[in-house]
Amino acid sequence: MNSSSLLTPSSSSSPHLQSPATFDHDDFLHQIFSSTPWPSSVLDDAPPPTSDCAAVTGFHHHDADSRNQITMIPLSHNHHNDALFNGFSTGSLPFHLPQGSGGQTQSQATASTTTGGTTVQTQTKPKVRARRGQATDPHSIAERLRRERIAERMKSLQELVPNGNKTDKASMLDEIIDYVKFLQLQVKVLSMSRLGGAASVSSQISEDAGGSHENTSSSGEAKMTEHQVAKLMEEDMGSAMQYLQGKGLCLMPISLATTISTATCPSRNPFVKDTGVPLSPNLSTTTVANGNGSSLVTVKDAPSVSKP
Amino acid sequence: MASADKLINTDVPEKDVFAFHFLQSLSNLRKQNPFDTPDQKNYRVRKIKKAAYVSMARAAGGSSRLWSRALLRRAAKDDNKIVRFSRRKRKVTWKISSKRRRSNQRAPVVEEAAERLRNLVPGGGGMETSKLMEETAHYIKCLSMQVKVMQCLVDGLHYNKN
Repeated sequence: MNSSSLLTPSSSSSPHLQSPATFDHDDFLHQIFSSTPWPSSVLDDAPPPTSDCAAVTGFHHHDADSRNQITMIPLSHNHHNDALFNGFSTGSLPFHLPQGSGGQTQSQATASTTTGGTTVQTQTKPKVRARRGQATDPHSIAERLRRERIAERMKSLQELVPNGNKTDKASMLDEIIDYVKFLQLQVKVLSMSRLGGAASVSSQISEDAGGSHENTSSSGEAKMTEHQVAKLMEEDMGSAMQYLQGKGLCLMPISLATTISTATCPSRNPFVKDTGVPLSPNLSTTTVANGNGSSLVTVKDAPSVSKP
Repeated sequence: MASADKLINTDVPEKDVFAFHFLQSLSNLRKQNPFDTPDQKNYRVRKIKKAAYVSMARAAGGSSRLWSRALLRRAAKDDNKIVRFSRRKRKVTWKISSKRRRSNQRAPVVEEAAERLRNLVPGGGGMETSKLMEETAHYIKCLSMQVKVMQCLVDGLHYNKN
């Protein structure tokens, strides 16, 4: 009776083990040990059957002495593979030997938890598989679940973010954060340039209140800006960029600027180095000769007041 | 296991929905304020940006996403408007504290990045890391859609001018 309760969970899945209504220890063990080799469907990555037989027969010998004290590990649906495979392949004796055959069903549950190694929880968390040597502590299970969830979300984020081929988790997270910042900056820049918003910014620089198109500026203002930028660039590029950005200007190589100015239709390529926002075709450009030889061009949006 | 996207519900609004809301808010803005005074420019820029975000949040299915709710609430607070949402209280805050007490195994790398993300994504204050990443994915999709729409608008307007 006691043994029958052992096998009923596994009987449905394992084609190999029979579970008659009643049988005692002898029949049960005899059945297991006489049935060799295991069918390959039972074991996941099965070792060659010979080793199994060896372990089984070896165990059988030992078993003959203390047969009525051997208890099998309760086999659940999903994990009977692991339990049997782990138990037999290593040759260790994972079975606990309780004293007396009395409360065996009860002691099995406790036995399985105390043996450590190859224990398998029967019905606590059917979707979690406890591996050898790992604690089946619910906290760590929850931890692992959580980490898996996070990893899976990160994978889906990876497809969204361009340049998401980093394998390192930390750099991937940095990419994600930078991308969000970049998108927010794009929205901000676009909302600035909309409806001639930048017109205000550039009109503050060049004291022209009217909208002038190809404005090679109130050159006084431009020169001041140039000097300021050149000075800033000597110490730190970052601060120079920030200064320019505050004025609504940006920096780009001259070749690109010439391409833009000769273009007759708006093009969608990102010209700006900092933000990927394409510039509107109404541009006014000033050329700055940089200190270290390369010449850069500052471009500002034309003060065009558009009425939608 | 099914692909990650099927488990996580990320349905992004279509571009035209957002465009519709955005244009509506823009025309509202135009009716309200005259935009000629130069000192008002910064104010105007901010208004436009806010209008963009609000219309995006509304287009994204107003209350079904945490960040959109937080955005709308923040925007309404600035205008001193009273916003009503369906009763969906945030029950996650206590969950975070209890879990932190229990184990210290939170991968610290992930956690500090999550902290930075929480500052960026609106409404990220009371969320767990896994939920936060879900919201981030949806937020990124919506943001990129918003950028595309605004881009088209800007280009269209300038091109028409010329």
